[in-house]
Amino acid sequence: MSFLKDRFEQKADSAFRPQLTSLVDVMTILLVFLIKSFSVEGNLITPSQDLVLPVSSSEKLPQLRTSIEITKNAVISEGHTIVTMEELSRNDSMVIKPLFDWMKVVHSRNKNPKTVSSLLIQCDREIEFSVVKKVMFSCSKAGFIDFSVLVVQEE
Amino acid sequence: MKLSFVINRKPSEAAEVPDIDVTPVMNMFVILIPFLVSMAVFTHMSIIEFTLPPNVSAFMASQPQKPHPRLTVRLGSDYLGIVMGEELLDSLTVQGQSFPFDSLAERLKVHRIKLDYREEIIVAATDKISFKYVVRVMDICRIAGFEKVGLSSATQDPGAGI
Repeated sequence: MSFLKDRFEQKADSAFRPQLTSLVDVMTILLVFLIKSFSVEGNLITPSQDLVLPVSSSEKLPQLRTSIEITKNAVISEGHTIVTMEELSRNDSMVIKPLFDWMKVVHSRNKNPKTVSSLLIQCDREIEFSVVKKVMFSCSKAGFIDFSVLVVQEE
Repeated sequence: MKLSFVINRKPSEAAEVPDIDVTPVMNMFVILIPFLVSMAVFTHMSIIEFTLPPNVSAFMASQPQKPHPRLTVRLGSDYLGIVMGEELLDSLTVQGQSFPFDSLAERLKVHRIKLDYREEIIVAATDKISFKYVVRVMDICRIAGFEKVGLSSATQDPGAGI
């Protein structure tokens, strides 16, 4: 009887125990990778979803300032579509009137002397320079002097 | 006596490995990994600062003096040129969509040393050029050692100048 009892206890002890060693290995590698790519500073600026930014080796960190987005479909500022690409292509003038008016308001609204004349351009990498030129010209006429362009840092 | 002690031990007991309980470690991983994934920054953003030419910028347009000649890189779909004032110093032919950026970087360094010019360099691009190429040339200029990079437009016609 005691022999049977021993066998029963032994079976109860040997319940299904998954082998976790390989899983722990994977988790450890993943953890090391994530800690390595972890940035305490984070990104101050989140680019638009419909933008593919150009790649650059520049390491200068972006700062908060007035921003304008040039996507494949439109020129956007603060979430508002200022002018579509169709309207822009129809316009032969260097100054984009709706953009100029909007940027003038944005410029007058900014009271911070350090960033009042600074503009960050977020431009899709495939946009033709003629479009960027018109946007920059209109913005400079609205009072912006210091221009910078947002890029994805090269690895 | 000693011999009998050794013989009395069961072989299975002698070979038993201590079983480490990994459950707390796994719990920690399960909490830590989603947190780090949500916080991870996989693409690092940076900026390139540039200036506009004096006749374009509203602020600088108020200054009466004529701008002095600057070193300019002409970026077009037909050729890349290095221009000082109105003098074409160098030109590189563009074949299709392959721009000779490596050659441009080398020649730009040579001209910078030869002219002993470290001031502002202007990147002048034609209308049909994609913005990624403009950024690439601005990068090349910065790496070549120029302190400031300006952005301007160039005409498509090579004879018309910049």
